[in-house]
Amino acid sequence: MRLFKNAVESVRAINRKYAKPEIEMTPFVKGCLVALRLYLFTLIGLMIFKFIIMAKK
Amino acid sequence: MYWISKLIHRIRRINRRTLLFLGMLGPGIIVMVADNDAGGITTYTVTGAKYGLHLLWFLILLGPVAYYVQEMTVRLGTVTKRGHAEAIFSAFGRFWGWFSLLDLVLTDWLTMITEFVGMTAALSIFHVPPLLTVGICWLLMGAMIMSGRYWTWEKIALLFCAINLIYIPAAFMVHPSVKDIAFNSLIPHLPPGGFTNDLFFLLMANIGTTIAPWMLFFQQSSVVDKELKEKDIKIGKADTAIGAVLTVVVAMVLIIVCGTLLYGTPVDDAAAAATKIMPVNRTIGTLIAIGLFDAGLLGAVCISLASSWAFGEVFGWAHSLNKKVKEAPWFYAYYFFDLLLAGTVVLIPGAPLVLITLFVQVISTTLLPAALVFLILLLNDKKTMGRYTNTPWQNFANVSIVVVIIALSTMYGISVLFPKLLG
Repeated sequence: MRLFKNAVESVRAINRKYAKPEIEMTPFVKGCLVALRLYLFTLIGLMIFKFIIMAKK
Repeated sequence: MYWISKLIHRIRRINRRTLLFLGMLGPGIIVMVADNDAGGITTYTVTGAKYGLHLLWFLILLGPVAYYVQEMTVRLGTVTKRGHAEAIFSAFGRFWGWFSLLDLVLTDWLTMITEFVGMTAALSIFHVPPLLTVGICWLLMGAMIMSGRYWTWEKIALLFCAINLIYIPAAFMVHPSVKDIAFNSLIPHLPPGGFTNDLFFLLMANIGTTIAPWMLFFQQSSVVDKELKEKDIKIGKADTAIGAVLTVVVAMVLIIVCGTLLYGTPVDDAAAAATKIMPVNRTIGTLIAIGLFDAGLLGAVCISLASSWAFGEVFGWAHSLNKKVKEAPWFYAYYFFDLLLAGTVVLIPGAPLVLITLFVQVISTTLLPAALVFLILLLNDKKTMGRYTNTPWQNFANVSIVVVIIALSTMYGISVLFPKLLG
């Protein structure tokens, strides 16, 4: 239990430490990150879709 | 007499420089040779058996690609003094940081299972039971990092890299046609049968074994642990270039061996290739099996270290091979935990190892573009990188590589998930 609490506290500390991105958010950087999100959501969505199809079979 | 003393002085100076250069070599060679892991060896043997020497030109092209991508981690590590995981957390914040770390943990663990699969298959050729093989691997991998000195670990790893070159004499033993090698290496062309789904899968598998996310994490953390400075970047680049040449040479000789001895024979993996070659030429079969074991061992050690370094950087644990187990307990604990978990899966009877191997390929190729995009953005951050920011030429080369890989990865991911979609 104590180990779990410590782990949660560590994760929270990491989240606080890295809350603000250090890189300068130019339009190019923002564009790249948005495109990356779209790419990942699409492919992960396809994987879930495939999983559902396989599960139904 | 003056010229003699001048000559001696010059020789000593060259000796000193050579020793310094040799001492600096390590991370680039290790990461590139470890890149030819058990999965890589399997990919090359299958490529050779299926397409003969026809894809040698493609492997030569992959050498510069690997160099350009890995060279960026050398600059990033020496300038920021941060590992790759920490660099992503700092630059892009917690969302992308956790995404990258969890991506690394998942793909590393799955890839490590494939390394253990390769090692057990290799030693099973010599009738060593899997339980004993896994035990031997755990002992060897533990012994490699327990010295408490990065330098010692690096030299042991370089020794295992040298064993990886065991395939070179095998290539000479099959007496390949030099004319065929030259033609297939220099003239880009499609193999007989043209562009098929099978060919596309193998090309992607070859790309996947040449560039992988763990390699970025490993080399950057390794450069930081070795305490390389900005003045060492040139040597770090040379180290990476030598490694890129070695990785291509090993891939080429394996294709030459299997393309000469097994062309047209159905082969599923490297261990099967070694078994099929044994009756034809016992020495070459043995060399392939030994090389497969070595590749799996080196790959598993480097992949596990990449994860341990990444966790150490993010969670703030002491994370250096220069520290003893007592001084960095969590770092070593995670390393062994990773090895134990991956090794145990292989020993479970009926574990879905084929499914895991396929899953590794899909997940790795799907998530690879994310790692490459972060790398390019980090290398273009002038505030952090200063005069080591990517030059226009480096950006042209790297962006071209990333765009091609994103396009191919997307097609690959879709074609694996929906095989009938791409015809």
